[in-house]
Amino acid sequence: MSEQVAAARKPYAWDGLRKAWAISSKDMKIYYFQPAILIFGLVFPLAIFFAFMIGRDVKAVTLFPGLITLTIFFSTTTVAPFSVPWEKMNRTFERLLFAPVSMTAAVIGKVMSAFIFGFVVSIFPLAIGLIFVGSQITSYAALVLAFFLGSLCLSTMGMLISTVKADTPPKVMMVLNVVRLPLMFISGIFVAIPTLPLYGRVLAWFSPVSYCADLLYKALGFQDYFGMLTSSLMLVAFTALMFVASVLRMKAWNK
Amino acid sequence: MTASIVVDGLTKYFGQLLAVDHVSFEVEAGEIFGFLGPNGAGKTTTLRMLTDLTRPSDGRATILGMDTVKDSLAVKAIVGIVPEASNIFLELTTVANLTFTGALYGMRKKARNERADELVSLFDLEEHRGKKGMELSFGLRRRLTIAMSLMHDPQVVFLDEPTSGLDVESSRLIREVFNDLHRKGVTTFLTTHNMEEANQLSHRVAVINNGRIIAVDTPELLKQAASESQALEVAFDRDLDASGEKDLSGLPCVSEVRLLGDKYHLVTSDPPCVLDSLYPFMEGHGLKPVSINTFGPSLEDVFVKLTAGKEEVARDE
Repeated sequence: MSEQVAAARKPYAWDGLRKAWAISSKDMKIYYFQPAILIFGLVFPLAIFFAFMIGRDVKAVTLFPGLITLTIFFSTTTVAPFSVPWEKMNRTFERLLFAPVSMTAAVIGKVMSAFIFGFVVSIFPLAIGLIFVGSQITSYAALVLAFFLGSLCLSTMGMLISTVKADTPPKVMMVLNVVRLPLMFISGIFVAIPTLPLYGRVLAWFSPVSYCADLLYKALGFQDYFGMLTSSLMLVAFTALMFVASVLRMKAWNK
Repeated sequence: MTASIVVDGLTKYFGQLLAVDHVSFEVEAGEIFGFLGPNGAGKTTTLRMLTDLTRPSDGRATILGMDTVKDSLAVKAIVGIVPEASNIFLELTTVANLTFTGALYGMRKKARNERADELVSLFDLEEHRGKKGMELSFGLRRRLTIAMSLMHDPQVVFLDEPTSGLDVESSRLIREVFNDLHRKGVTTFLTTHNMEEANQLSHRVAVINNGRIIAVDTPELLKQAASESQALEVAFDRDLDASGEKDLSGLPCVSEVRLLGDKYHLVTSDPPCVLDSLYPFMEGHGLKPVSINTFGPSLEDVFVKLTAGKEEVARDE
C-alpha cells in the first residue's frame, strides 16, 4: 500500500489541519477583497451603526460594544455564504471533493478563513473606540473570549447558512440577511440585553450573537446579563452544534 | 494482469429515473479504457459513482482493491479526476492552482513546487505560469485542469470528455501525455462521445446506452461487428451527372453512396468487389480517378449499429 493510501486511511489530525489551512489560505487570497465581502461584511455594519446613532441623544461610547458585535457578526457571517455558493456555481468546490479531504477538514478550512477575517476586521472598531471615543477595557478576559469565541461561533453560523440549497451567492446572501437582520434586534446590539423588554430578553437566549454582545458589554465596562461563563459556554455549544450541522449538510450534498 | 477497477452491478436512481442500470465491468492495470455513450447514457453518472462524488443506489466498485464508498478518502488519494468542465480557480495563477491542489493531497511545499514546475513544463504552460485562470484561453484552462489532476502522481485517472472543444495542438498534447502515462502503468478511464479519440487512445472500449453496458471489447474487435460498414472513397476528375450517380449506386456490392465534398463514399461489405467494377464504370463514363481510398468500419459505425440495435430491441419489448 502506498504512503498516500495509508495517510488517507488513517490521517493524522495535523494532516487534516494542514489541508484546512490550505483551503483557508486560498479563500483569503480569493475572497477577502471581493466587493461583495467588503460591502456585506464592512460597509453594512457601519451603515447600520450610523443609521442608528445619528440623531439620537446617546453617548457614542455606549454604542461601541454594539458596533464591535455588529462588525464581528457581519464580517464573519459573510465569507462562507459568499465563497461556498461561488465555488459551487463555478464547480471549483468539486476540487475539494476530488481530493482526500474530509468534509470536517473542508468545513474547518471555510470557518477558519471567516474567523480570521472577522477577528482582524473587528479590531478596527475596537481601536477607534479606544483611541477616539474613550472606550475602556475593564475585562480583558471577556474581550478575548468575545473576539475568539464570538468570531468562531458566528463564522460557523455563516458556514451553516452557506449550506442552504441555492446555487448562486446572491440567493444565499438573501437567506443570510433574512437570518441576520432579525437577530440584530434580539441580541442586545443596539440596546444592552438587561434593558430589553421581557420578550426580548427571552428571545436573546436563542441567538448566539447575544452572548458575543454580552461579553463585549462586560469587556468595555457595562452591565452584562448572562455572565462570562454562561456566555462562553453557550458560544461553545452553538459552535459545536452548527459545526456538526454544517458537516452533515455538506456530506448530504453529493449523496 | 490484475484488475485496477472492478465494477459490480453499479446502479443509480435519481428519484424514479434509472440512470445507471446494474453496470459491471473490469479495467486492467495500466489500461486506457474508453467509456462511450450518447449524451444522457449514464457515462458521467458512472464516473461520479466511481469517484464517490455520487453514491450508488446499488452495487459496488473497487479501485486497486479499495471500496469506492467505504474507503473513499484512500481511493481519492490515488485517483486523479478531470471533470468535463474545466474547474480551475479563475482568481488564482496557473502555479497557485497547481500548488493548492497539491496541498489538498497533503504534499509538502517543496514537493508541490517541484511537481508544479514539472507539470507547467509538460503541459507547455511556461509563459502562462503567472497568469490568473481568468486570463487563460479555453484550451489553456483545459490543460491546467488536466495538469491539476496529475499533481499527486495518481495511479488511476478518470477523464470526462478531456479534449472536447479543444484545438488540434492541445488535443494532441493531451493525448501524448496520456500515452506517456500508460507507458508508466497509470490506468486511465476515459469517458467520451468522441469516437476517434476513443479509437486512438483506448485499449478497450465499453459502450453504454440507456444506463446499460451493451458491449465491451477492443476497438478493432468491435469494428468487426460492423464489417458491412466498410467503404471505398473515390474522387473523379469531374462531377458526375444524375445518370452517372445512378450508375454508381448500381455497382455490384455497393449498399449506399454518399457524396462527401468532392468525393463519393461507397459503403460496402466487400471493397475489392467494388474496385473490380469501379474501373469499368470510370472507362464507361470517361472519368479519371483523382484519389481512391478504402476505409474499414469506424468506431462510429459500430456505435451507431449497437445503439440503434438496442433501441429497436427496447421498442420491441
